[in-house]
Amino acid sequence: MSRLLKQITFWRLVTAAIFAAGLYGSYVRFFVGWQASTHLSDAQPWGVWVGVGTLCGVALSAGGFAIAAAVYLLGMERYRPIVKAAVLISFLGYSTVCVGYLYELGLPWNMWHIFIYWNRHSVLFEVAGCVIMYTTVLTLEFAPNVIEKLPWVGLREAILHYHHKIVIALTLIGTVLSSLHQSFLGGLFLVMKDKIHPLWYSQYIHTMFYMSAIPAGLAVVIMVMYLSMRSLGAKLDYTIMTDLAKVIVPMLYIYGIFRFVDLVNNGGLPYAFRPTSEAAYFWMEILLLVVLPIVGFSTKRVLENPTALYATSAVLAMGVIANRVNVSITSLEWFTHANYVPSWIEMAMMIMCFAGAAIVFRFCVLHLNIFPRAKQPERWLNAPATA
Amino acid sequence: METKAKALLIDITKCIGCRSCEMKCKEAHGFSQEESVKLSATAFTIVEERAGGKFVRRMCQHCNEPACQSVCPVAAIEKTPEGPVIYHGKKCIGCRYCMIACPNQVPKYQWTKLAPYMQKCDMCYDRVRNGQPTICAEACPTGATIFGNRDELLKEARKRLDGDANYVQHIYGSTEFGGGSVFFLSDVPFEKLGFLVPKEEKPLPALSMAALGDVPTVTFVGGSLLAGLYWITQRRREVMLAEGKLKAEAKEERS
Repeated sequence: MSRLLKQITFWRLVTAAIFAAGLYGSYVRFFVGWQASTHLSDAQPWGVWVGVGTLCGVALSAGGFAIAAAVYLLGMERYRPIVKAAVLISFLGYSTVCVGYLYELGLPWNMWHIFIYWNRHSVLFEVAGCVIMYTTVLTLEFAPNVIEKLPWVGLREAILHYHHKIVIALTLIGTVLSSLHQSFLGGLFLVMKDKIHPLWYSQYIHTMFYMSAIPAGLAVVIMVMYLSMRSLGAKLDYTIMTDLAKVIVPMLYIYGIFRFVDLVNNGGLPYAFRPTSEAAYFWMEILLLVVLPIVGFSTKRVLENPTALYATSAVLAMGVIANRVNVSITSLEWFTHANYVPSWIEMAMMIMCFAGAAIVFRFCVLHLNIFPRAKQPERWLNAPATA
Repeated sequence: METKAKALLIDITKCIGCRSCEMKCKEAHGFSQEESVKLSATAFTIVEERAGGKFVRRMCQHCNEPACQSVCPVAAIEKTPEGPVIYHGKKCIGCRYCMIACPNQVPKYQWTKLAPYMQKCDMCYDRVRNGQPTICAEACPTGATIFGNRDELLKEARKRLDGDANYVQHIYGSTEFGGGSVFFLSDVPFEKLGFLVPKEEKPLPALSMAALGDVPTVTFVGGSLLAGLYWITQRRREVMLAEGKLKAEAKEERS
């Protein structure tokens, strides 16, 4: 009994609460209805499930393709120790987005229609196609980590030998697919020229989504590295985090300058200096997404301190979330005069999905060789011995 | 038999705000007969009182190149040759992109249902296909809404504008968002009546197509570029290996 009680820790209780709320929310969403579970309306048909769940879920999972391309295609051996973790983050991110989208769809049991009724004029069709294909690619990229644990040596070696030959092709296809759908998530809003606030509408909105997704994905890789080292006993060279941070800085400069020039060209800039809530949200976004991360990642004391790197990355991730929410919710409310605040069930469901992904990540790190074997730390001793 | 494109012409100067169109439409669809203040899944057309006591009918514009049709990932929305933009609920997956894409906020959702479908005016497609006018046009007692062949209605509208200088010299709906099948005439500037003045006259789907057209280029140029970069890094690696000074390995040993 006392052993059982010891199993009950603070974080396990929190996790249990998250799942209880999320599962109850799922029940209400699917069996009671939309009005009981969400605050969506005719004026605000897309809420946080699209704005945060889909747009941010995908953007924050961009680390996988970025690191895989860097290591496998560009030969940046520096990042090889984290390539498996990055692919795992993306794999879990995309899987979560796919599951989450079932909540968002009104008729999720018709989802397979996307395979038979094509509309190549629809950006959402392209996004769905790319996300489905890329999730398949990620599954294939991640599969060897599970396969190498198979007890049948012959089969295992055969598959891994074969897999080794296609990993380059997979990475290449994955990079192209990622580039397409990361940008097309922004492209979803191209058609809404009259509805999107001038601070966010641009004919290059898809380009900017792509440019901000890569630093966001890398920031999440930094955060996951830090958390893995802190609580999962992963022994990694923390200067990899420093190098990632240094790579992010020029990306943010390019994004920031592009965003500024684009705002000037589109005539949106004057709106930033009007006393409106949109302007306030805009400045918050710029501060979190561009200014603070650039300042942080350019400061020597931050670069030398893993905790500070983690915190700055978290700010950057929040900046991307702010940007996606501004595009999909703030800017639309300006047009529709809707006053949308997500319901607690909308939030609970997203938090549950996130917690689920975190739990699977932890399980994978503890039981698979996600971080390089040579650096396998002593704290894993209670995990099953690896071959 | 050639199908002739049909249309509706709504003359705001003739509308007396009796809401007959709204009520007959609701009756035909079996919706509640109460007056609605906004379009909804149970109100496909409404009459709103706007600035200066003018009555404006709100309904689907049945665009020639509809944003809703272009964005639907499963092609559940169709622009028919007769003019009506119709919805095939059987195909729908419920993504609600049509709702968010429509500049006039016309598509509405059955939020109260467990299997919700999008709902909007279908310009009485079943009647129009059989040569009948729409219910709203039939219901209008003053001739504010009339139904007819699209080209003839445009001619009629032009004639009214030419004959009366009080009209705003523009047929709303003939050019907006690439034009559609519902036209408005007014003696008060349209923007004062709350009509949306598009930022660009061209059809909205062109905006997404500008980006979607780049897909093949991005795929082939990007793909080739990456393959080329891979080839270069591999070649460099081979050369370095041959010369016995592979940087990456040396770096790894140091760490």
